[in-house]
Amino acid sequence: MILQPEDFWSFYEWLMRPEAFLESAFLQGIVLFILAIVIGLMVGYIISANRYGPGEGFYAVARAVRDLIRFDLPGTSAHRVFALARLAFKEAIRRRVLFVVGLFVAMLLLAGWYLNPESSDPARLYISFVLTATNYLILALALFISAFSLPNDIKSKTIYTIVTKPVRATEIVLGRMFGFMAVGTVMLVPMGLASYLFVSRGLSHQHLEVVDVVEEADGTLVGETDFVQDHKHNFTIQPGTVEGDVSQGLTDVIRGHRHIVTRDANGKFEIGPPAPLRARIPSYGEIQFYDRTGNSKDAGVDIGAERFATGGYGSSGISRVIGLSRGSRKVQHGYVEGGTLGKAEFVFQNVTPERYPNGLFLDLSLRAYRSYKGDIESGIRGSVTLKHPSKDIETNPRTFDINEYEVDELFLDLDQEGTDNNKTRELNVFEDLVDENGQLILVIKCLDRSQYLGVTQSGVYLRAGENPFWWNLSKAYISIWLQMAMVIAFGVMFSTFLSGPVAMVATFACVLLGFSAEQVYDTRHFIDSGIERGGGPIESMVRLLRQDAMTTQLDVDSTAAQVIKTTDAGIVYSLDAIATALPNLPKMVGTAEYAASGFDIFGALLLRHATATLGYCLLAFIISYFFLKSREIAA
Amino acid sequence: MDTDSTVVAETETVDAAQAIHGDSDSGVVIETRNLSKIYRDFWGRKKVNALKSLDIEVRKGEVFGLLGPNGSGKSTTIKLILGLLFPSSGRVLVFDKDASETSKNERIGYLPEESYLYKFLTAEETLDFYGRLFDMSGAARKQRVDELIKLVGLQGAKHRQLREYSKGMTRRVGLAQALINDPDLVLLDEPTTGLDPIGSREMKDLILSLKKQGKTVLLCSHQLADVQDVCDRVAILDQGELKELGRVTDLLKVQDVTEIHTKRLTPEVEAEIRAIIEREGGTCTIDNPTATMEDLFLNIVRESEARPGARRVTGTGNSKEAADEGQKAEENQGEAGQ
Repeated sequence: MILQPEDFWSFYEWLMRPEAFLESAFLQGIVLFILAIVIGLMVGYIISANRYGPGEGFYAVARAVRDLIRFDLPGTSAHRVFALARLAFKEAIRRRVLFVVGLFVAMLLLAGWYLNPESSDPARLYISFVLTATNYLILALALFISAFSLPNDIKSKTIYTIVTKPVRATEIVLGRMFGFMAVGTVMLVPMGLASYLFVSRGLSHQHLEVVDVVEEADGTLVGETDFVQDHKHNFTIQPGTVEGDVSQGLTDVIRGHRHIVTRDANGKFEIGPPAPLRARIPSYGEIQFYDRTGNSKDAGVDIGAERFATGGYGSSGISRVIGLSRGSRKVQHGYVEGGTLGKAEFVFQNVTPERYPNGLFLDLSLRAYRSYKGDIESGIRGSVTLKHPSKDIETNPRTFDINEYEVDELFLDLDQEGTDNNKTRELNVFEDLVDENGQLILVIKCLDRSQYLGVTQSGVYLRAGENPFWWNLSKAYISIWLQMAMVIAFGVMFSTFLSGPVAMVATFACVLLGFSAEQVYDTRHFIDSGIERGGGPIESMVRLLRQDAMTTQLDVDSTAAQVIKTTDAGIVYSLDAIATALPNLPKMVGTAEYAASGFDIFGALLLRHATATLGYCLLAFIISYFFLKSREIAA
Repeated sequence: MDTDSTVVAETETVDAAQAIHGDSDSGVVIETRNLSKIYRDFWGRKKVNALKSLDIEVRKGEVFGLLGPNGSGKSTTIKLILGLLFPSSGRVLVFDKDASETSKNERIGYLPEESYLYKFLTAEETLDFYGRLFDMSGAARKQRVDELIKLVGLQGAKHRQLREYSKGMTRRVGLAQALINDPDLVLLDEPTTGLDPIGSREMKDLILSLKKQGKTVLLCSHQLADVQDVCDRVAILDQGELKELGRVTDLLKVQDVTEIHTKRLTPEVEAEIRAIIEREGGTCTIDNPTATMEDLFLNIVRESEARPGARRVTGTGNSKEAADEGQKAEENQGEAGQ
């Protein structure tokens, strides 16, 4: 998982974007609301002018707005909303939607057949499976119950007995939304519990005995565990690590977990359960690259593929729609040349004894790029050095082999040997290396000449702590809940003026467009920058039919090409605008990736999603109100 | 029924209603002004002119009937009054408020043409739900729900889901929900449709008792007998136009015919009366009146409830026996009337 710069934003940064207000979520929300109001008033006027004539139509629209503000909003009663929500809830329950939970459990039972038992990271596989399954199941359910309920009531005319009571349109809409959200909640809770059990029980196993234990000259014990659930571990025990004859050691990390091995006084070995699943709380640093001559650079060496990187435009908000922000925002790996002065420096803040009492846990997710094959048996080597931000004090480099596509966990002792102004001495991290502001610099280098080491800002972090897995899973479920709330709000909104099936398709189209927003942005980026990547919808259709590659020049005559490209640009720009207006669902689905990768889901991220959800629900609510209010229920 | 006593009851209750709500208006509950409705299709093209310039007033405490054949605009009028439809031109005022205002519904009860209720709720839950929509407190709601279930006679079935109900039972729940808020104005769309004669009689009795309580009732129906039985005033609509409006008694009175009701007239007296009328230059027919089918049916059912078991079938199509049966029914009616 490569985190993008926007993922690091705090809630305030996301909302306001202090240096780039045009990209702020706040502005995007305001523009969306204003647009909705303006378009709403215009459409409302056209409809009522058509119905009552131009003059009377104007008053009709004005009355509707006045009614909302003067009567319907203040008159909305929590009791009635609750009664209607209760009805919607009962309806769903008595229509047996809870069967979906049963379906989910059945899916979990069958999942064992399909989840690869030899996966190198079963935790990721299991977690992403349960979260993805829950996510799509709940979204589909939300789509169905929200889009069909109101049209059904109108069709069966049960709505007559509701609207002839002192019930306001606001209450009907809110009652529906809250009722369905309650249904979703009631379903998500058991699904979450089942998921938790499935993951934690599915991954638990016990190694019973050790084999091939060899005692080395210094008393270190090296051995292997037995083969359980398609894997075994190697372990090392330093003598006397606990007390007396009892010693303890760790196994290596296989399939994402390790065990503690204890040797008691009688020489008996005991292997503990796998370390529990966790959610790492990372503390990220600011990255700075240096090229081979030691000069600072904005980015690392580009090994070729990075130039075509696309995506990340979702973070540019309004500024992209109006064409002010161009180019990719996605950060790929920057590379450091091996055996030169090239390096990547990370400045970490807040390095305090309170946060790291025993030492620094450093997690690395790095890439290696070989410019020549070299010795293929051994990995590319890198080194880490801790350095004082302003003084010339640094530890001796610690070398490691780069493991691609998994997290290397290094433990850096608080006391290390190093150089202080060319003098070699024992250094303490907090006393000698961290400055008065709590800053510490970590330097990463590649040791092999002419080979390259790739880093990103999110790839290197100090592990400040860990959250329990259940809490992280809950946060992933909260994110699913938020998506569900959004789909329900949209479903209810469309169902106030469309028939059931059409409302469902409309909601689905919104979800789909929301999901493919980044692809739409990418297509716009290619069109804007004149990069041949298949073009817009018409151009790609032509290419498909002609069986042309997508990177070649469009092979039709120039007038036709002009027409196709102009039309495409129109379509793509409109789609871009619509996609910007829709909720960024992939980002929300992406929180599952955090949980699967074992990262704590940032509170700020969840808060952002919650705020966006609230905004969209509010918008959907207002739109629903006007449609319902202006609708002739009995027509 | 004694005419004088009815009049007294009416004035009393109207006063009571005025005292409760403090209305100082002229007593007009529903007023339609030049009300028209044109149904249009999706493109705004005119499909049907369902209602043309309707002007009616429904006054406090009266039972007002809207009459007309299918498609005459009765239901449209009711829906316009309720705000379920918006007028194409003209206005509807209910309690001096525009029909589009939600607050008017506080004092309205509406029984739709078919009882459109949530089939997955039980009778008790249904009424409780509608009670909640009036923001009634828990205790008041419970009491009102129990009262209404008793009123419509569904005590035994209140815990069953409405999907298991017969049409008549659903109709009763529908009626109960219309009365949940003790409304001042009750709108009944085809109230007796789908009810058996007993239910239909009960419905009519209920309408009359609502009237006694000072409520205003607007009903639309094409069961002319029902309308005649309960309505004070009627409006007759056809093809969206008002054709007749007035008091039922006035409208139905045949001005140049006199009717005399008496009991057990001997042939001698009958001949004498005939002679007197002929002497004055008139013509007359003297005959036994026929009872209504409703009375006959209700009598038979009441009788069988009082004395269960086989009943001697009297009317077998034989003309003489049929005549006897008519005689018997007439006698029964006389008894029932007292």
